Amino acid sequence: MPLIIKDEYPETLFREDGKRLDGRDLNELRPIKMEVGIVPNADGSAYLEWGNNKIYAAVYGPREVHPHHLSKPDKGILRVFYRMATFSVFDRKRPAPGRREKEISMIVADCIEPLLFLELYPGTSFEVFIEVMDADGGTRCASTTVAALALADAGVPMKSLVSSVAVGKIDGKKVVDLSGIEDKAGDADLPIAITWYNEEISLLQFDGDMNLDEMNEFLDLAKDALKEIHQIQLNTLKSKYIKLQEETLKQKDNKKGEK
Amino acid sequence: MMDVKRIISKIERDYIISNLKKEERIDERGLWEYRKFQIKSDVIASAEGSADVSLGETRIITGLKYEVGTPFPDLPDKGVCTVMAELLPIASPLFERGPPDEQSIELARVVDRGIRHADCVQTQKLCIKEKVSVYILFVDMYVINYQGNLIDTGAVSALTTLLSAHIPEGIWNEEKGEAEWTGKYFTGKNIVNELPLAITYGKIDDIVFLDPSLPEELVSEGKISISVTEDKITSIQKSGAATFSIDEIKMLGKKSLEIGKKLRKDLNLLQYQSKIK
Repeated sequence: MPLIIKDEYPETLFREDGKRLDGRDLNELRPIKMEVGIVPNADGSAYLEWGNNKIYAAVYGPREVHPHHLSKPDKGILRVFYRMATFSVFDRKRPAPGRREKEISMIVADCIEPLLFLELYPGTSFEVFIEVMDADGGTRCASTTVAALALADAGVPMKSLVSSVAVGKIDGKKVVDLSGIEDKAGDADLPIAITWYNEEISLLQFDGDMNLDEMNEFLDLAKDALKEIHQIQLNTLKSKYIKLQEETLKQKDNKKGEK
Repeated sequence: MMDVKRIISKIERDYIISNLKKEERIDERGLWEYRKFQIKSDVIASAEGSADVSLGETRIITGLKYEVGTPFPDLPDKGVCTVMAELLPIASPLFERGPPDEQSIELARVVDRGIRHADCVQTQKLCIKEKVSVYILFVDMYVINYQGNLIDTGAVSALTTLLSAHIPEGIWNEEKGEAEWTGKYFTGKNIVNELPLAITYGKIDDIVFLDPSLPEELVSEGKISISVTEDKITSIQKSGAATFSIDEIKMLGKKSLEIGKKLRKDLNLLQYQSKIK
């Protein structure tokens, strides 16, 4: 149904000073904020603010498989459910999950599965629920990043984390981390994820056109950004325990003071 | 991890009940005391209004979207406001993914009725051209964490979302035959009139208490939600297998108006009105 304001794209995606519309350099990420343990009920959870993207992820498991016929006798299963809130996008999204959400759920699951030791959990399932509350481009990359964090927060044994970012081409220039508008109005979009235990690519999609040289450049560009994101993930996980440690020390001090 | 099992043990159940009989709660609240509300408004950039409301550890994020459509034939000069709720599977192991179940439909409907019958949303202002073009507002609630009493949290969340609204103001263009933007916005100030709040009570044996937490909800035989404006009751929903005596209902009606008045003052929801013009 129509809206009063139309969703129009700008003619150019760069400002006069050569920076991108949101003031970023070509290889600069949007501001990223991560937090773990944000859903107290879940076994593990994480929250990610990546530019205007706001994403919650929670992990339940290992738990009984429901429906039961999906369970495997020799290993556990990983199920990922990526969903977007109706108000997370410009035009209200229909509440029921669509084809796009199902596809993204699948590629995120495929991306994360190599990290887990599923053979240790026969007959059970790990369920990762990803809820995109606000979307502004790159939600599949952000979802992968935050899902890995939630699994780690749940204490699920993992070979390493996985980090993900999109690189692409806008107005003929190669850039890192496309925003919503750059994604829609740009020329090419290449989401990519690296599993750090082997430094190999675990998620790769591409829409647009590029030659071989460009592809090589894209991959190099992504690697630097991914290292930065991985560092933020590690710091977030550590900071939870640093905070816990500080609190326990404080409590101990207080007790000593009382004596 | 919190204790969020579907089944509550007998010993825990007895503990909760024996405490309530002494007019004590397991979280040290009084019988007529709310957990702490925490409210943030306008948290979602893509939405035309939003709120992130916590009541204790129960947390709901609500967003507002609008569409322009045709009015209902029997209300040709009035816009439409609908409420939807989704109990996200992240929020509790008790929630399963899939189409809305009874609990989420009840949440949406009770919050919707509280708003609808309180003359809260000024639907006649949401008309662009009679019989042809009106606003349809979607207030969509997403439960992020479930620790009991979704209805009261949802009511505050929906109301704060409406107050934080900033919807592009449309004017009918006769030549083009479509609505156009005037460059201004409708805000919560223009469209929200009354401030209805839902007040929910749990009941165990013959003890009634305000704002049941999750363990109390699991032990309760039932609950009753009463939505109130400053001086009127606008909707009542009794749910669960508990029965209430007529005297109890009378007492709760009176109590709800008192509690509503105090809560409305404490929350001061008008501060969340959108500042956009």
